Amino acid sequence: MNGSFANAVRSDWFGPLLVTIVAVAIVGGFNPSFLSPLNIQVLLLAIAVNGLIAFSQMLIIAIGQMNLSVGAIGGLCAIVFAGMMDAWHVPASLAALTALSLGVICGVINGFLIARTGISAFVITLASLSVYKGINLGITHAQPFYDISDGVKSIGQGAIFGIIPWLMLPTMAVGLALWFMLNRQPIGRFILAVGGNQHAAELSGISIANTVVIAHALSGFLAALAGLLLVARLQMGQPTIGDDWLILSFAAPVIGGAVLAGGHVSVPATLLGG
Amino acid sequence: MSYSDVPAKGPSGDIVGKPRRNATETRFYLTNEFGLIALIVVFALGFKFTTEGFFSAFNLFTLGRIAAVNIMIGLAMMVVVMTGGLNLAVGAIGVCAAMTCGYLIEVVGLPWPLAILSAVALGALLGFINGWTSVRTGLHSFIITLATMSIFFGVMIFLTRAESYRALPPVFAAFGRIKLLGFFSPLLLVSLMAALVLGYLYNLTAVGREMLAAGAKPEAAEMSGINVGRIFIYCHMLSGALAACAALMLVARNGAAIPSMAGQLGQDWLLIAFLGPVLGGTLLAGGKASVLGTCLGAFLVTMLTSGLLLLQLGDFWIQSFLGLLLLAAVLMDKTRRTFLARRNMA
Amino acid sequence: MSNYLRRVLAIGLLSAIGVGSAFAAGDSKIALVPGGPHPYFAAWEQAGKDAAKDFGLAAADYKVPQKWELSQQNQLLESLLTQGYNGFLIFPGDPVGSVSTVDELVSNGAPVIGGAGCFKDPSSATFCLGTDTGNSAYIGTKELLKTLTGTKKRIAHFTGFLVDPNTQLRIDAVKKAAEEEGATVVQVIADIDAPEPAEEKINAYLAAHANDVDGIITTAWVPAVVASNAVRKIGDKRIKMVAIDHDQVVLKAIKDGFVNGTMLQNPYGQGYIGTFVLDKLRSGCAVKTDAPFKKNALTDKFIDSGTVYVAADKIDTYVDAMRDTTKKLFETFQATYLTCK
Repeated sequence: MNGSFANAVRSDWFGPLLVTIVAVAIVGGFNPSFLSPLNIQVLLLAIAVNGLIAFSQMLIIAIGQMNLSVGAIGGLCAIVFAGMMDAWHVPASLAALTALSLGVICGVINGFLIARTGISAFVITLASLSVYKGINLGITHAQPFYDISDGVKSIGQGAIFGIIPWLMLPTMAVGLALWFMLNRQPIGRFILAVGGNQHAAELSGISIANTVVIAHALSGFLAALAGLLLVARLQMGQPTIGDDWLILSFAAPVIGGAVLAGGHVSVPATLLGG
Repeated sequence: MSYSDVPAKGPSGDIVGKPRRNATETRFYLTNEFGLIALIVVFALGFKFTTEGFFSAFNLFTLGRIAAVNIMIGLAMMVVVMTGGLNLAVGAIGVCAAMTCGYLIEVVGLPWPLAILSAVALGALLGFINGWTSVRTGLHSFIITLATMSIFFGVMIFLTRAESYRALPPVFAAFGRIKLLGFFSPLLLVSLMAALVLGYLYNLTAVGREMLAAGAKPEAAEMSGINVGRIFIYCHMLSGALAACAALMLVARNGAAIPSMAGQLGQDWLLIAFLGPVLGGTLLAGGKASVLGTCLGAFLVTMLTSGLLLLQLGDFWIQSFLGLLLLAAVLMDKTRRTFLARRNMA
Repeated sequence: MSNYLRRVLAIGLLSAIGVGSAFAAGDSKIALVPGGPHPYFAAWEQAGKDAAKDFGLAAADYKVPQKWELSQQNQLLESLLTQGYNGFLIFPGDPVGSVSTVDELVSNGAPVIGGAGCFKDPSSATFCLGTDTGNSAYIGTKELLKTLTGTKKRIAHFTGFLVDPNTQLRIDAVKKAAEEEGATVVQVIADIDAPEPAEEKINAYLAAHANDVDGIITTAWVPAVVASNAVRKIGDKRIKMVAIDHDQVVLKAIKDGFVNGTMLQNPYGQGYIGTFVLDKLRSGCAVKTDAPFKKNALTDKFIDSGTVYVAADKIDTYVDAMRDTTKKLFETFQATYLTCK
């Protein structure tokens, strides 16, 4: 079923190479001193967040589904993170923990509904996109939360050796963990198996429902993490965070060689795409 | 409703299409279309008793007018989705066509019927670019249309300098405002006509059947002598033309051709474009198209939004309620089908 | 915090204008509808409530489309008309595209006023009550150039969406002001009205060109916030900056000396006076044929709701500045623009 599309992108290097060239051309055109050290820092900052968004979608693509609510989860967790610090003066670490848990919960709700009802992920996550974004607007009334802790602000602006932003670290860690998981761990194989051939996966004793829920939980977690990083980067909890992630989240993994029908993803290629 | 993203696959990885049933023995009650009609009736009655003015002439009129555009956008996406492709550039193509129509009327001075024809032709041409590029490069239409949506929209903004065209003949705005029988928008007739044409195409013409075959099993279709590449290009052209029609209907509704009518890069159309077909039972992996289902799906979503706005549930929470209602709707439909399936077995 | 501000604003305004609530509740149901969710319009909510109380209206409600989409705003407006709202203060989702909806509302007996943004003539809107964006950008640039002491006066201009017709007005106004003072606009970055791309583009630009710029003027909400954070990050206070609006990030940056000042607009006054006028229009008043409207790029029926430059010395009492503007406008508004039976 993957047809000509899969044949063309089966070579993983092709997509990322293409996109990297295009991106360099675009950004280079916008700003001739693109490759200066200062710019690299700015670029890395963008990659840090975009990479996580792409990973979040990549996991769901891996099981042959789509998660349209990536942006809505990220936005909701971002404003919960900022809102807890602003309204209740909760310590940053606790707020972050709560927000990340919320991301997992949102993902589990998605996964559970999909696995239990058999209704397509597209429809479920489209509906939950609306629910999560609505809760976001209901809480914030479109007003940003400003009063986030100074620690978060300084992490958002700081850089190691003046080049590598702190925000790059979670993304690198997540990238390694995902690579390890998908290539070396049973759950990773389950995810790819479910995406590759659901029928065969079931016959070989993999619980499809559990795999789907886990993949969505991880996706929610990564979306939440991306939201948190953006709060640190923007220095405030903007209710608009996540609004324009949809295309971005698909573009990087797909260009990076993930097959929309599932069963095949590449972590490094996705990161290059992001 | 058949809500699976990916159809069941045989051991070889090929599509085996919709399992179990074939068209002739499908009980009518089990179809998507019946489910959607039932949902529409249930929710319409619900809104009748919970809101004021849901069935007022004005509300019915505006509801029909919005639904008309949403249906057309849904159809524009459906004709590509049924081949397993995507057209992310529907909005961008629509805006380009609308602006061309405005330009031809206001600056060139073409009579409006000619301008409309040229705009639809441009839509088809842009669709051709999508289809041709996708077939020639072998890249998935997702990537191609992701790129072309930026390109089309960017060129449009550059050429128009984001200026609107509003010196359109009064017939345009009048068409958007006429109320047939006091409550019926003629725009809805245009959409229904497009749906009828598509229904005719898929059921009664060779090209239409080839489109379905190519969408379901490209390799098998190729072997049986269908030029799949050409068929895919036709589908993209059709999508472009329908997107242009949707945009022209918006021109009539707004009384002007404006660059922002589908949002930045035309992205505002995307969700509604997918909602109609998917609710209507079109498989995202291709091979199945439901024209009536797409119309009903788009109508259901429009109706839910309209009813919720009238309910005046906390202003900022509306979107949450819309999501919950959508979930409730698909779950209700799922229950209905499970229930019927069990009764059938007994 | 913003609630507190609104309350202060409201109380101040009430005492300043001193209108009792002696009117019987009328049948005017006014809706204040922005183009989408945005902090700028938050003051409209309180303004509507205050006006409803002060002038005895049935309601004056702040209704927000869930997204910045013309079609969503249109659907909301149609729904509000069905719900019995009979007067509308609207920020147009599109200056041209919203006109047909306005015509429809007006033909159903509901007067419409453009608030914060204008409908493009010809339209059925009674008039437009908004900030003279070009003038605001012009004054802001002049204020910025006053602070530049060196011989080289190179300024960068960060502004909003190119599809917003105000953006071109702002770009032109900044350029004009700069030319008058012998300064050069070295860079205009537009299309950055969303936080994420704004953050990326502005930081990328400043990272590469901070040394080629002496001053920054921002003429849209989001770029102002992002640029305020950016100059704080640079931290040497060499680059002067004039912002726009009253986002807390901007206000704090002014207090801390990273930003020199900001051009305040007057959303509260737009909401309050707009509601007042809509009620008057429904109770038999009409706009004077010789009303002293201003002109702008969109309409010949424009009323400036006021714009004030506020620097560090007045930043703590910026609410007073807004209140004074509203008060001044309100005192003479009816006599200047309306004839009532």
